[in-house]
Amino acid sequence: MQQGTGGSETEVTWEDQQNINKFGRLNNRFHELDDEIKVAKEAIDNLEDASNELILTDEEVVRFQIGEVFAHVPKEEVETRIEEMKEVNSKNLEKLEEEKESVLAQMAELKKILYGKFKDSINLEED
Amino acid sequence: MHLMTDGGPNHFSRWLLAIGCYSTTLSWADDNLRGYVCILRSLAQPPTAVKSDDRKKPLRSSPCGSSGETPSSDLISRFVKQSNMAAASSSSTESPKTTTERRGIPGAQFVEDVETYLTQTGFDVNSALAFLQERLQQYKLVEMKLLAQQRDLQAKIPDIEKCLDVVATLEAKKGTGEALIADFEVSEGIYSRACIEDNDSVCLWLGANVMLEYSCEEATLLLKKNLENAKASLEVLIADLQFLRDQVTVTQVTIARVYNWDVHQRRIRQIAASSTSKDS
Repeated sequence: MQQGTGGSETEVTWEDQQNINKFGRLNNRFHELDDEIKVAKEAIDNLEDASNELILTDEEVVRFQIGEVFAHVPKEEVETRIEEMKEVNSKNLEKLEEEKESVLAQMAELKKILYGKFKDSINLEED
Repeated sequence: MHLMTDGGPNHFSRWLLAIGCYSTTLSWADDNLRGYVCILRSLAQPPTAVKSDDRKKPLRSSPCGSSGETPSSDLISRFVKQSNMAAASSSSTESPKTTTERRGIPGAQFVEDVETYLTQTGFDVNSALAFLQERLQQYKLVEMKLLAQQRDLQAKIPDIEKCLDVVATLEAKKGTGEALIADFEVSEGIYSRACIEDNDSVCLWLGANVMLEYSCEEATLLLKKNLENAKASLEVLIADLQFLRDQVTVTQVTIARVYNWDVHQRRIRQIAASSTSKDS
């Protein structure tokens, strides 16, 4: 998001400035959310792969990573743990997606307002 | 642009102190197991939690500092000089439009009208632009520092959570009476098997080559407290960053407006000059 340097006469009021600030904050939050969603999706994929591997393996005891060590855990317990982690991660992902939607909606609102006032003098698009 | 900086506001040095506090707590050692069977990495002094006293007192941007605090580094003196300058010019504008400082970061003054702003501060266009550009650079510097701290804190939090996991697992195993077998990393790529018997205590690595033994409950409490403090510090940091970004935006907009105003003035002068030359 950049501020355009048009030559128009439109003055910037305090509310306009606050809207611009808010748009900036939302834009930053949007990028952060994108990154977080990517990480969450990767984590879910890894857990999927892990549970698939688990089904294929015939060992009774699996080395499950807890913290920095790999503890020997019986297969069933590992299955339960992975299920729990998948639950937690997908809830988290849902929350992040929701937040992203709301951020996008707010940004669209602000864009409308700011473009309405400043027309060409402002540029709110991504580089 | 000389200003008396006798003393200068001491909020800036407090802010530096806060930054210093962040960095000392992040310098914990990151070693692995050393012959102990069950060792947990934990983080030392809990990250200095929210500096609540700073936040409760938003400092007005007025040059009322405690005397005897001579800022030492360039950055401090420049920031102080300019926050004093902003204070001098902002004291005559309406206060709702002036953002107060936050933990030493001077607020960018919102400019209602470019012409009045220029006459008030007594700058001509070029020096005003230079001043604003320099402010922008300083803000960027501070932003980089805060971002680095945020990254560190964000790495620290999963660490603490992992430690909590391990302690919880040990506690769960306590009841069953069987030993926990774990493979741990002795060195990069080399793992060894450990048989962890039932015991009630764990050792927490506190950094600075210090390790203390705690009972499982105490360890959980300590780790939870550290986790909460880390999360609280992170929130404060994020709020600081948002404030900073707002000031950056305001400054950028002000630069654009001053520039546009100047272009506009030149155009008017040109038109006036060409019309007078046409007349004569």
